[in-house]
Amino acid sequence: MSRSHSHPVSHCSAADKLSYRPRLADLEGRVTGSTFVLEQPRCIFDKYNTAEIWLVVATRAGMGDFNDSAQPGMPEWSFQRFPANTSAYLTLGAMQYHYRCLEPNRELTVLRVGSETSCADNASVPNCNGPLPSPGPYWVKFLALNDSESIATTQWSGPITLRTARAIPSSPGTGSGRSGAMIAITAILSVLLAILLAAFLAMLCSSEACGVGSFRPDSASIHRYNTHHVYDQSAARL
Amino acid sequence: MAKTDNGIRICQGLLILGNVVIGMCGIALTAECIFFVSDPHGLYPLLEATENDDIYAAAWIGIFVGFALLALSILGIVGVMKSNKTLLLVYIILMLITYAFEMASCITAATHRDFLTPNLFLKQMLERYLKSDADNNNDKWMTEGVTKTWNNLMLQNQCCGVHGPSDWQEYTSAFRVTHNDADYPWPRNCCVMDNRGEPINLDGCKLGVPGFYNSNGCYDAISGPLNRQAWGVAWFGFAILCWTFCVLLGTMFYWSRIAY
Repeated sequence: MSRSHSHPVSHCSAADKLSYRPRLADLEGRVTGSTFVLEQPRCIFDKYNTAEIWLVVATRAGMGDFNDSAQPGMPEWSFQRFPANTSAYLTLGAMQYHYRCLEPNRELTVLRVGSETSCADNASVPNCNGPLPSPGPYWVKFLALNDSESIATTQWSGPITLRTARAIPSSPGTGSGRSGAMIAITAILSVLLAILLAAFLAMLCSSEACGVGSFRPDSASIHRYNTHHVYDQSAARL
Repeated sequence: MAKTDNGIRICQGLLILGNVVIGMCGIALTAECIFFVSDPHGLYPLLEATENDDIYAAAWIGIFVGFALLALSILGIVGVMKSNKTLLLVYIILMLITYAFEMASCITAATHRDFLTPNLFLKQMLERYLKSDADNNNDKWMTEGVTKTWNNLMLQNQCCGVHGPSDWQEYTSAFRVTHNDADYPWPRNCCVMDNRGEPINLDGCKLGVPGFYNSNGCYDAISGPLNRQAWGVAWFGFAILCWTFCVLLGTMFYWSRIAY
């Protein structure tokens, strides 16, 4: 929240201008698509014991249009007409004692703006804390009212922009991201299979299965044995 | 002659040892692949919905290859001991076929593991989790599988979304169509639950107060088991194939030295 907007109050000069600036709480859900979470304004309104503290939510135009004499029940500052027909609305009204000072070590206390979905379309609840219809940006401030007369107001907060959802990411193409391990496995196994097939063929061809054949000197020659001792015996008889 | 006799004996001994190792590795491969196919982490529906479930196909092939290796190693031992050329030729041919199948399984597991990126699961979660309208029966089946799996994942691992609960805020989703942002900034299952399955503090969960919601992403719980599965099938298969390569070369050499 870097920019400061201090618009001088145009009508009611009796309202105190406090220096507190509302801020977002430090939680995961601080800003969602239609809600945001503020820190409670503890110890700020201690002087104003009988006051009712209201939250004013406005667009940029609403910061100038809103005057502190607004009443919570007025239809021109109702949630249902925001932001099309009105540029600000009042909500989250509470008695001052809800925001009294706590010891410093107490837990964070928060206000969630936009949490009531049931009354969002119900014009009879003009102060509905309904979900915000667009991403914003919005400015907020707290207003202390005593018998419908504003007695104190804080500064406007910095711009609060809600989250806009992006389109679903497309998954990366199937050709991307080949890891080195996969390439190594494929390459090495292919080479090993090729070597095995080559060795298998060589093995088959080294026996007589292949047409080429291999020449063993023993098989081609034919040996003749002269059985001369048979001849001698027959010659001896004659 | 004594020298070649010794040589033959050594060759036989080495081949028998090689085949024993192949047999045991075959049993181990079957056991490992049965473990993966049984899907102990319940992640199969996620892969089925991405239509990218080939690492399970690789595990199925691994089961049958393991059995084949066991049977062939026994055949090989018998063939080497009897020095029977026919048996060994059958052994070599069948081993080459098994080798090719196991090679396909390894390469498939390694390749498809590369597809399992966070974006893949993110896209699927956003498109299918708690999607209300289905195009056809197949679509409905996949949607139910994805929803059930994510619910289990988020409950058991205390996590939310792929990178974190901000996934539900940053992107449009089928979930967002039926659940408005104010009541459900993220799904109910991202809240910390009590024993009855109810969030312990619903407002705290919606606000994002630490302790009432799960702030981690589930990607580690998904990718850990799937990576182990893919690398287990791929690298163990690769090791078996390298050993089998040596044994097969030795067997071919032995076969060519056997005289009728």
